[in-house]
Amino acid sequence: MHSFYNFVSGPLAWVAFILFFGGSIYRIVSMLKLVAEKERFIFSYMSWRYSLRSIIHWIIPFATVNWRRQPVLTVVTFAFHLCLLATPIFLLSHVVLWDEAFSISWWTLPDAVADIMTIIVILGAVYFLVRRVTQPEVKFVTSVSDFVILAIVAAPFITGFLAYHQWLSYPLVMCLHVLAGDIMLAAIPFTRLSHMLFSPFTRAYMGSEFGKVRHARDW
Amino acid sequence: MKTVTLIALSLSIAIVLAFTAAWSQDDMTVVDNAAFNNPQRTPSVFVHDEHNETAGIDDCAECHHVYEGGKRVEDESSEGQSCSECHDLQGSGNQPSLIKAFHANCKGCHQEQGKGPIMCGECHIK
Repeated sequence: MHSFYNFVSGPLAWVAFILFFGGSIYRIVSMLKLVAEKERFIFSYMSWRYSLRSIIHWIIPFATVNWRRQPVLTVVTFAFHLCLLATPIFLLSHVVLWDEAFSISWWTLPDAVADIMTIIVILGAVYFLVRRVTQPEVKFVTSVSDFVILAIVAAPFITGFLAYHQWLSYPLVMCLHVLAGDIMLAAIPFTRLSHMLFSPFTRAYMGSEFGKVRHARDW
Repeated sequence: MKTVTLIALSLSIAIVLAFTAAWSQDDMTVVDNAAFNNPQRTPSVFVHDEHNETAGIDDCAECHHVYEGGKRVEDESSEGQSCSECHDLQGSGNQPSLIKAFHANCKGCHQEQGKGPIMCGECHIK
């Protein structure tokens, strides 16, 4: 089990991070190249002011009409995404590993808080799963890949939760946790999880078109 | 006279007890984590004598090392000291923080030897 742990947390983690950063740069650069090739006129109305105005409205809960129309979804999605991003970055045991490997460290969450944030992510994933299955308008645009990426995102948190509490077979759960994290990182640029990279661009484009062309709000 | 005997006796008992506690590690089952203000994990499982017997460690300085000017001093050991006397919570320069020193000493050796626990929860058992 230790050699498997060393493999998933060593060479495979390098592969995952290279795919994550390299893939992210590649996806963003090829998207910008495609725009420059096919719809160059977009740049004529892209505006920092309208871009940021749109992004700021949409990253604040209840600051848009659509956020207010679906209060439960709004609360869940903000809690989910915040915990999803912050927990792995500020988790003590992760920072300890960064420190051991590269002598870099930063502020960390108390474990008890990280534990609750992990539960929030897992419950959020369950909410999105139920929503995909039960809401007709969501079901209509759902394909198998949506369930797969939901599983990819939930897996590191479920295994992390089990590993932290040392439930089930700890060494196996720990290895699966690292493996799940590697898979998620590598999947971000190449699946719909890439909305992590593209959402600011999408928002900037919408904001600019609404602001500068249609002279309307997009929130 | 009775009082003198009583004082002498209790003093010698106290001295024997103090040395037993300091020099015998028979009863040591976890690493002392008293230096941490708000420890997030359980103290690391470590049965001193059993570990060293299994690992075949005779030299105290194997773990209880002494560093001077960034270099390990041969033939000197520090088993009378607490780890936290040198390794503070923050660490500075070449001096690893207490957490990092513990991890490097235990996990580092386990990785080198290919033996012993290396995953968080194998030592910090709930």
